[in-house]
This record gives sequence, structure tokens and C-alpha cells, in this order.
Amino acid sequence: MFDFKGFSMQWYRELFHDTRMLIIVLNTIIVALLSALFSTIFGMLGALAIYNAKKRQTKNMLLSLNNVLIVSPDVIIGASFLILFTIAGVKLGFYSVLLSHIAFSIPIVVLMVLPKLMEMSPSLIDAARDLGANSWDVLTKVIIPFISPGIFAGFFMALTYSLDDFSVTFFVTGNGFSTLSVEIYSLARRGISLNINALSALLFLVTLLLVVIYHFITLRNNKASGLGVQKR
Amino acid sequence: MKKLLQFFLTIVIVSAALLMVNANLNSSQGYSGGNTLTVYNWGDYIDPDLIKKFEKETGIKVIYETFDSNEAMMTKIEQGGTNYDIAIPSDYTIVKMVKKGLLVPLDHSKLPNLVHIDQRFMDLSFDPGNKYSMPYFWGTAGIVYNPKMLGGKKITSWNDLWDPDLKNQILLVDSAREVIGMGLNSLGYSLNDTNKQHLLAAKKKLDSLMPNVKAIVGDEIKILLANEEAAVGFTWSGEASETISNNEDLDYVVPKEGSNVWFDNMVIPKTVKNIGGAHKFINFMLDPKNAAKNAEYVGYSTPNKKALSYMPKDVVKDKRFYPAPELTDKLEVYEDLGKKNIAYFNELFLEFKMHQD
Repeated sequence: MFDFKGFSMQWYRELFHDTRMLIIVLNTIIVALLSALFSTIFGMLGALAIYNAKKRQTKNMLLSLNNVLIVSPDVIIGASFLILFTIAGVKLGFYSVLLSHIAFSIPIVVLMVLPKLMEMSPSLIDAARDLGANSWDVLTKVIIPFISPGIFAGFFMALTYSLDDFSVTFFVTGNGFSTLSVEIYSLARRGISLNINALSALLFLVTLLLVVIYHFITLRNNKASGLGVQKR
Repeated sequence: MKKLLQFFLTIVIVSAALLMVNANLNSSQGYSGGNTLTVYNWGDYIDPDLIKKFEKETGIKVIYETFDSNEAMMTKIEQGGTNYDIAIPSDYTIVKMVKKGLLVPLDHSKLPNLVHIDQRFMDLSFDPGNKYSMPYFWGTAGIVYNPKMLGGKKITSWNDLWDPDLKNQILLVDSAREVIGMGLNSLGYSLNDTNKQHLLAAKKKLDSLMPNVKAIVGDEIKILLANEEAAVGFTWSGEASETISNNEDLDYVVPKEGSNVWFDNMVIPKTVKNIGGAHKFINFMLDPKNAAKNAEYVGYSTPNKKALSYMPKDVVKDKRFYPAPELTDKLEVYEDLGKKNIAYFNELFLEFKMHQD
């Protein structure tokens, strides 16, 4: 829609003077990081609970409850949260957004961790027990190291889900708190300014940088650990 | 396990650092502390300098929040859990909000600047006596067209759209009220007409427009017209001025048979916390100088008569966006026709969309 006239840094400068937009960007990142963190912890515990469930029926029930949040549409989840928060008297804002993001990320983490648990040979645990490990040792020294790739994957899935979620967030923001997706959407009526283009360019560069760094870290780790023998 | 803990710890530290930066930014804006006013407005619909000026003059810090549709805004206010002090809904939404008891009546004695508003825009059907609302911006619905693509041909009325030369050139908006209203207007009926005969006649007339219609679209109409994908499009004056600034060849016209006139209005929702501050804000925005500055930034038409004298002559004299009283008399506000009639409008519009010769 805009005619290209030449290169300039004008919109980047304007972006950094727009404190409101910067606050919103920070909000978005903070919510993404924290919700991913909490949902990873809870999701991991949830996966362990499902794995350890004795009865087959309980296991299936827990798993289908977990899937309910995955199959229900975002808009429904968002509207339900809005109703829940207003009934419970939770003020819409940072905490309502954080809580709802944690809630919709947990099932994703569970689904990322569970296959890893299923993959693990039960004799591994038997061996650990046999060699004198108590339950805590089994959990921290055998199970978690084994499933940690799943945990990391879950964390990053939760992070991306939270970063790009619009529909749930849309319902539960309020009182001056907003995230990037909601803010950009509300600019639609008057046309989106080039600030947003500048911001998108920056975000893209940052993500690209993170991916490159991640690539080098894994490269180094692979070298260090030699022939697939896990070091602790 | 150690690696995992380290990783989680890093995340916690990073988010704590970000939270601190954020809190710093927030307090530098003065958002923490009690004396605040939350304004709920359309995105980018106010001059940010005016917010700064208001903060300086009154010492009240403004929290600015945005919405993208009247319906979304109403839901947020209806649900509660928020404390908006000012909201800016469009005309038909005000009727709904009053019905649901979502608005607080205005205290006119605290709004001395309301004398500057043009009498034409006061006491309208959606809010008799301006009990709940003050006009913020107004505009019309009309036709944007590209004279260059039409070989210099001019469009002045709705009926010009039925010209066979315009084959496959017209873009319409995907909205029942607007399109059926166009049909009603072209036959000389009122936009709020609910007479079935008149409506059927309008629908029939619209069906004969179909060969000229290129597409029925949404917001992208602006881009399509600016890029000369089509020569003629139905749109609102605010969007028209934006489209014209992107493509100087385009022109905007309010059809002479009459058309829709719309208002965005300042109201105080029932979620208000700072009612004194809210009145101060409305009065501040009604100040002619401020209204003029705001109109220049946003580019929509201001209902403030005195403000016009502070604005560039060529803007105020532009009959396309500040139509003369003779024409505004023919313009109508959409009235709430009730569920049944609206459903009938939608049904007719659906039939029109599916119509094929």
C-alpha cells in the first residue's frame, strides 16, 4: 500500500520512541517466557501422573481430559476464560493472560513429554531400584534426564503457542494490559503504520539470531558428548 | 537434570529482568499510582500529542487501550472486570448500550465546551438530547471512484452505478445494511425503510447491478481501489480520504440522493472509576483547538464548528468531507430496526449475493 521511496531508519526511530508499543512487546515476551516455564513444569508432572496411573481407565480418562483443551477452538477457550475470570473476580490484565496461556499450553507439553515416557524401557527403572535408588533418585537421575528432550521440545512449543496466540488473549486482556497480536489487530481499522513493519523486521532478526545460537550450542554439545553416551 | 534446572533458572532470571525493565517503562509513563484515566478507543484514532497535553494540563495519567469493533468493545464492557472510563462507540452501538444500561449519563454542566459543536450533529435519533454521548468524529458513506479509469466520467448519484459502461468495475462491502441501503437510496426511499414492498423493489434493482459488480469484499477495498484493480467502490468517508492519500487519482462523492451519515461518540461506560476525570477528558476533546489538532491527525471530519476555523482552509472547504447543510439534511443515521427486520435485510442480501443472471 505504501510506495517504496528509498531506505530509511525513520520508522525504527519512531518505534523506539513509542513507549507504549515497547511495553506491549515486553509484555508479550514476559508472558510467553513465564507461561512456557510454568506450563512445562505442570505439563511434565501431568505426563508423569498419566504414565504412573495404575488403572488403564484412569489413564485414558486423564488423557482425554488433556485432549479436551487441544480440540476445543481457541475462541471458545477464550470466551470461557473471560466468563470464569469475571465470575471469580479476577481483574483482567497480566495475571488473567498469564493464567490462560499456562492453561492452554499444558496439554501441549503433556503430549510432547508422554511419548518419551512411553518410549522409556521399564527395566531402566527396575535397574535403578535394584542398585539402591529411592523414588527421588529414580525421578531426577533416571526419568527426567531421559525425557529432557521432550521437556525442551514442550517448552519451545509452549513458547511459540503463547507468542502467536491471538484469540484467547483477545478475550482476557484489559485494564491497560495488551499483547502484540491484540494491539496489531486493533490497528486494522485505521491501517497499520510502518512502525509495525519495523517491529516485525526486528522480531524476525531476533528469532533468526536465536535459532543460529541454538544451532551452534547443539553442535558443540554433540561433539562434547561423543558417541551418543549421555554425560551428566 | 542439572542442565534442565540451569535452563529454567535462566528463563526465570531473564523474565525477572524484563519485568523490571517493563516496570521502569511503566512508571516513567506514570501508569502506576491512582490518578489515571482509561480510554478505550479504536486503534490510532487520537493524536498522541493530545494525550500528553491532557496529562500535563490535568495531572491525570491516561491509559490508552484499543479495540477493533463495536461488538468487541461492548462485550468487554458488558462482562466487567475492566475499568474503562471513556469509550468511543459508533451510533448504532450507543442505542444497544443504552438499552442494556451500560452507559452513565453525562453531566452537561461539566462540559462547557459542548457549545462549540455544530447544532446539526446534536440531539440525534440514537441519543436524544445527548444524554449519554458527545460526537467525536463523523462522516458519510459514499462512492470512491477513479475518473482516469472511467475516461473522465463523473459519478454523482447512486443511479450512475447502473451505467452499463461500468461492467465488472464496482466493489461493494460485504454488509447487508450498507448494500440494501444503497438500493433503497437509489429508489429514493429512506435507509431505515422497513416496508417489504420497498425492500423487495430495492433488492430487484440491486440484482440488475450484478453485471457491474466485480467483487463483494471487506477492508481490502481500500487497497484494491488504490492499486486500480477496480474503478468504483462503496466506502466510508474516513477510509476514502485515506485511500485518496494513497492514490491521488481517486475521487470521493456522496451521492445526491442521500446516504448514510455515521458518528463515533465519546461515552462514559458503567465501568467508570474516575468520573470527574472522564468529564474533563470529554470537555478537553471538545475544545476547538484540540478538536482541530485531532481532526488533522486522524483525517476524519470533526463535528466541532469552532474547530474548523483552526484548520487549513482547503480541508474545511472540501465539500466531499465537509458537505454543505443541503446535503447533510438528506443523510440518515442507521436506526435500530429490531431483530426481525435486520434478519430480513440479511436474507435479502444473501439472495442478492447468490443472484445470477
